[in-house]
Amino acid sequence: MKECETNIGNQIKRGSAELAILSVLAEGPLHGYEISKRIERQTQGALRFNLASLYPLLYRMERRGWLKAAWEEPAGGRRRRYYRLEEEGKRRLVPLREEWRQLFQALDSLAGVSHA
Amino acid sequence: MPDWREIARQGLGPLPFEADRENEIILELANHLEDLYSDSVRRGKSEAEALQSALSAAADWDKLRREIEFAAKEEVIMNYRVKTLWLPGACTIVLSSMVLRLLQIPSAPVPRVLWPWWNSTGLVIYWWWLLSLPVIGAIGAYWSRHAGGRLMERAMAVSLPALGMVGLPLLAFPFVLVRDLIHYQRFPLVPMALLLLGWGVVPEAALLVGALPFFRAATSGSHPAATSP
Repeated sequence: MKECETNIGNQIKRGSAELAILSVLAEGPLHGYEISKRIERQTQGALRFNLASLYPLLYRMERRGWLKAAWEEPAGGRRRRYYRLEEEGKRRLVPLREEWRQLFQALDSLAGVSHA
Repeated sequence: MPDWREIARQGLGPLPFEADRENEIILELANHLEDLYSDSVRRGKSEAEALQSALSAAADWDKLRREIEFAAKEEVIMNYRVKTLWLPGACTIVLSSMVLRLLQIPSAPVPRVLWPWWNSTGLVIYWWWLLSLPVIGAIGAYWSRHAGGRLMERAMAVSLPALGMVGLPLLAFPFVLVRDLIHYQRFPLVPMALLLLGWGVVPEAALLVGALPFFRAATSGSHPAATSP
């Protein structure tokens, strides 16, 4: 039972993190730190990433073909690895948003938990 | 300014990736730490507080390393098995099947049947096929080793033809057993044992004889996770 709860918790965390990353990258390419700051800002600090939660997930999403990363060096800046949303990621974002919308609706009708 | 690359490198320890990929990961994490540090300083924190704040984002380096390895693992292992097991294994199966098929054409040398049992059952030996198996085993083991296969992958790649030969009869054995017991009131243990010996044990031994030199040689390849994610 405990393991089951942990798995559900992990899946929800991972699912919400994937949605958050895909959503911010849908607005344009960003490097890892920008991704984490953008998500933190847009969720008013509700979603925060540390290194262990952000980069392994980015690498996993890159491996699945949802994202593409490339090193770039802006004028006067440091060399950075920028992530872009690939077609596969865009395709994945649509059902992911719908799944989470349905989940919040279901929770809302069940327990009065409403999303923003 | 702290040396962020060194902090990231020491925190992660050695990663099981190629050097270029490892350097990329370390540089990316170092950039992130430096951004955290710079942001904190800009917000008015002291350098010591900013350093502490940046390091707290990577408090658990072990977990970070495990997660990075895990993110790469699935695909890497799949590619590794294809290269070191399934491709060499398919090669040994195709070659051994081709030789056996050639020996079954009418003008080919007839197989030698040893220890005939109940008229038609015996230990069937295709000598020329058996003689070809060490060469085929050597090819499979060499291929697997060349692709970076460990002893287990080499042995499996070499053994696939013999496993394929006896796998189907073994699956059918319960049905044969029931049929023989009901219709012939006999227990087909000896025919089954001869079948396993003739098509499993002896060919396997021949394959392994050829593969042996490539089992002994040092692994030329790398660990399954030793490629980039």
